[in-house]
Amino acid sequence: MKIVPAGDKFVCQLGKREKNLLFDLLKLYPCIPAARPGATKAAALPETSQRLLEEALAEQRTTNRLQIQKWLADPHRFEETETSWRFSLSGPEIEWLLQILNDVRVGSWLSLGSPDEKLELSLLNAKTAPHFWTMQLAGEFEMRLLKALEA
Amino acid sequence: MVETAAPEVTPGSIQEVEEKSRSGLEPGFLVICWNDPVNYMDYVTHVFQKVFGWAKKKAEFHMLQVHEQGKSVLTRESMEKAEHFVHQLQRYSLHATMESDQ
Repeated sequence: MKIVPAGDKFVCQLGKREKNLLFDLLKLYPCIPAARPGATKAAALPETSQRLLEEALAEQRTTNRLQIQKWLADPHRFEETETSWRFSLSGPEIEWLLQILNDVRVGSWLSLGSPDEKLELSLLNAKTAPHFWTMQLAGEFEMRLLKALEA
Repeated sequence: MVETAAPEVTPGSIQEVEEKSRSGLEPGFLVICWNDPVNYMDYVTHVFQKVFGWAKKKAEFHMLQVHEQGKSVLTRESMEKAEHFVHQLQRYSLHATMESDQ
């Protein structure tokens, strides 16, 4: 994926297979379980705050899921060229995509059993491979978006 | 945390200045970010900059604290503001919590 700043937007160019991969990743959202252990630390936290945070997160996930469906179905968003797809993203849309992709990345990592820093290839087997590659791919797209924002 | 580009600062290389004396503060809540080894260092730095409006150096300082010490206390706020920041960090799937500063 190539991302080039163009005024206050970013023009993205995706290969056809890359577009399919990105779409597949976005369709996986949300990957982090709603009741992620330790997502809100109960110690010394008022019950109302904890409930509020959980509700806000649940609401956010519903909004994001609907937004993804809309985003993927928008016929005017993606323009097909001979060899690729082009589309533009605003700064807030990049932030939103980063949030979606990192949910998919962290959720896949949790599915792998939250392994430590060195994600050993020995973890790979038929059961873990989909989570492993999903995590890697989501991270790859994240890094491209971050580099574009820094450029 | 997954290492990416070399950060410009290390913990301890900058000193944070406490502007208010602790005794003068109202009861507050600490916003804490915990280490998830899956998150890229660049990503965490970016999120801290975005959520708190911090300069890159300060964001990197806290990112490295998370990376090396397992957690970083990011700010001390009223309950409402702490809830807001925790929610913002959780939107980016960072492991953020708040607790009473007693």
